Amino acid sequence: MTHVYNRVQGEAKEYEVFARKLRVEPLRQIGTVVAPDADLAAAYARATYDEERWIEMAIVARDQVMTLWAPGEESAD
Amino acid sequence: MSLGELVLSLADNKQLLGLRYAEWATRAPSLEADIAAAGMGLDDLGHCRVLYGCLEPLGDDPRPGLARDSDPAAYWSLPYFDQPFASWSHFVAANAVLDTAFTALIQACVEGSAEVLQTRLRKMLMEERYHFLHGRSWLRSGIDRAPLDEAWRQAVAWFGPPGGELEELHRSGVLSMGPAELLARVSDRLGASPPKVAVDWKAWDSKRRREGAGGGIDERTFNMLRGLEEKRFMPAGA
Repeated sequence: MTHVYNRVQGEAKEYEVFARKLRVEPLRQIGTVVAPDADLAAAYARATYDEERWIEMAIVARDQVMTLWAPGEESAD
Repeated sequence: MSLGELVLSLADNKQLLGLRYAEWATRAPSLEADIAAAGMGLDDLGHCRVLYGCLEPLGDDPRPGLARDSDPAAYWSLPYFDQPFASWSHFVAANAVLDTAFTALIQACVEGSAEVLQTRLRKMLMEERYHFLHGRSWLRSGIDRAPLDEAWRQAVAWFGPPGGELEELHRSGVLSMGPAELLARVSDRLGASPPKVAVDWKAWDSKRRREGAGGGIDERTFNMLRGLEEKRFMPAGA
């Protein structure tokens, strides 16, 4: 039997990719990848955003980010 | 089998793996997987160049004695890479099992006593971490059994027979692992056991580290390796 691959729709999650080039710089968001798990997201982030000389790269699942307020919303204070 | 011959086998397999990965750069199941296929292909082609460059400092380059311009069998790659991958399952099985097997040997070289390999191959281990994550994740999602079993079989064959020359390199400290330890490492990393494999060691080619004689990479790929494929795109008379 041949498997049907369906790795982007449904179960896949979006991951934010952060990186920096210098120690004195803060990490900044450089893009996103979509993957069904963190391992694959790490591999995709590295393959997609590796053209520049980053000294650090990190990924965060978007659904793990706590949004305090967003554009168009009032701040908490 | 000498250390140079083992490194040449690793280099040729890396070159073919890189080429086969790259063939899937526009055919993988998602855009991210396309990019990963292209990226891993570039990595492995880069690794093969570094490995070829180690042969001269090792003082043991088998290539001058091989008819690499005319005989595809002079490339010491596994049968798995003789033809383009027939399906994504073939890609994933190679990525998960064979690429991890090659990385296990690179680690054994880095931890072994040959200084040129200790220093030049270390960076490969960092890059291969992402190949491993990619392969293991796709493997866990489920792939066809036949290419997976074949990849395991060829990994076992590539590590060589118990008590063979790779075992000797381990005993002498040139490699930090022998065939059994290398296979156990691949199995541990993937969290999967190889199927029962009975390699016919009497029919095993100790140079090409594969079962059976004959066979070799397909004509188009062989032409590409020799720079002939590009000539099709040259202007007439050039």
